[in-house]
Amino acid sequence: MMLRASSSANDLQVDLSLVMGEAGENEAVEHALELADLVDTSVSDLGSLAAARSALVEATDSATMLDAAAVVANFEMMTRIADGTGTCHPSERLESMAEMTTSMGLDQFVSARS
Amino acid sequence: MTATPSSIVEECHASSELPIRADLTAAHAHVWEKLAAPGTWWNSSERLAIAEIVGAALDDPDPIPPWESASSSGRVASNALLSSELQDAVYRLAVHAGTLTEEWYSKMRDATGITPQQWVEVIEVAISVASVFRFSQLAGIERPAFPAAIKGDPSRQGQPSKPAKHHWVPVVHLEDMTPELAPFYDGLPALPPVIRALSSVPSAMDTLATLSSAQYIPTREMVDLNWTRGTLTRRQIEFVAGRLSAHRECFY
Repeated sequence: MMLRASSSANDLQVDLSLVMGEAGENEAVEHALELADLVDTSVSDLGSLAAARSALVEATDSATMLDAAAVVANFEMMTRIADGTGTCHPSERLESMAEMTTSMGLDQFVSARS
Repeated sequence: MTATPSSIVEECHASSELPIRADLTAAHAHVWEKLAAPGTWWNSSERLAIAEIVGAALDDPDPIPPWESASSSGRVASNALLSSELQDAVYRLAVHAGTLTEEWYSKMRDATGITPQQWVEVIEVAISVASVFRFSQLAGIERPAFPAAIKGDPSRQGQPSKPAKHHWVPVVHLEDMTPELAPFYDGLPALPPVIRALSSVPSAMDTLATLSSAQYIPTREMVDLNWTRGTLTRRQIEFVAGRLSAHRECFY
């Protein structure tokens, strides 16, 4: 996972449960709470999306909010490519990810192909 | 004067009065131009019919379960250009992509009679609409309307794609690179499977590369774990990417 790699490159520890669970402030990911709220509300609580957007702008700025929106749009794309084409990781990559995918429960996804 | 596909996107971005990057506007305008034009295996009316289903699916406030038929439950407008089986497949790709299996893919192809390359182009249309609509929604700006279809025939330009170990769809391997794929393959020792997934349709590769460079990170900057545009850090980018992917239950 690129979050782990980009954190390690800076000698920062990141708890990967941050990606799926409650997002709090974290040394490796500034404004994790506001970023998580933007993503979460856009998926499951559209009525709160405007407030999440405003909170992120207040914590950062409009350009940062727009770039976060663009990253979400990009992974709406990438997830459909991966799952629509049945893309899976090479076995050596799966092995290197095994501990993480098990601990995070990712191996329970229908899309966990090998 | 009729609005062009580009002008539809540009006007929405400009009227927001937000500092939307010019390269992002250009990328969305580019895929809107392609959406209106004949593709490789589908004509523009068919591409727009696929796009309409994706849009309806993304707007569905209470999506039907993945095993139900969107076309027979009235979730998508009746359209004679696409079979009901293909309409159902497009809807499911749009809202339940994480539930797709190889068995489903095989049955869907039997039911619809489409080729793997036609399916790859369906995905290309879906990712164009998903990118443009979801960005607009998250940014809180007006959503671009669909462009008008431009008449013409699909190019039907094939590629030397072969069965793949890491995909259901065939792909073009690096050693079989064609001139059409050179912009995406050239100089790279390897391509991640998810990038190679669309290689049987180079125009779909172009859509992916254009959108990804503007929405995420330019391909050649991917190795720089500290790359930033001066807004989000690389770690913040990957956090947002990971969180969205987890919501979509995408293992990859």
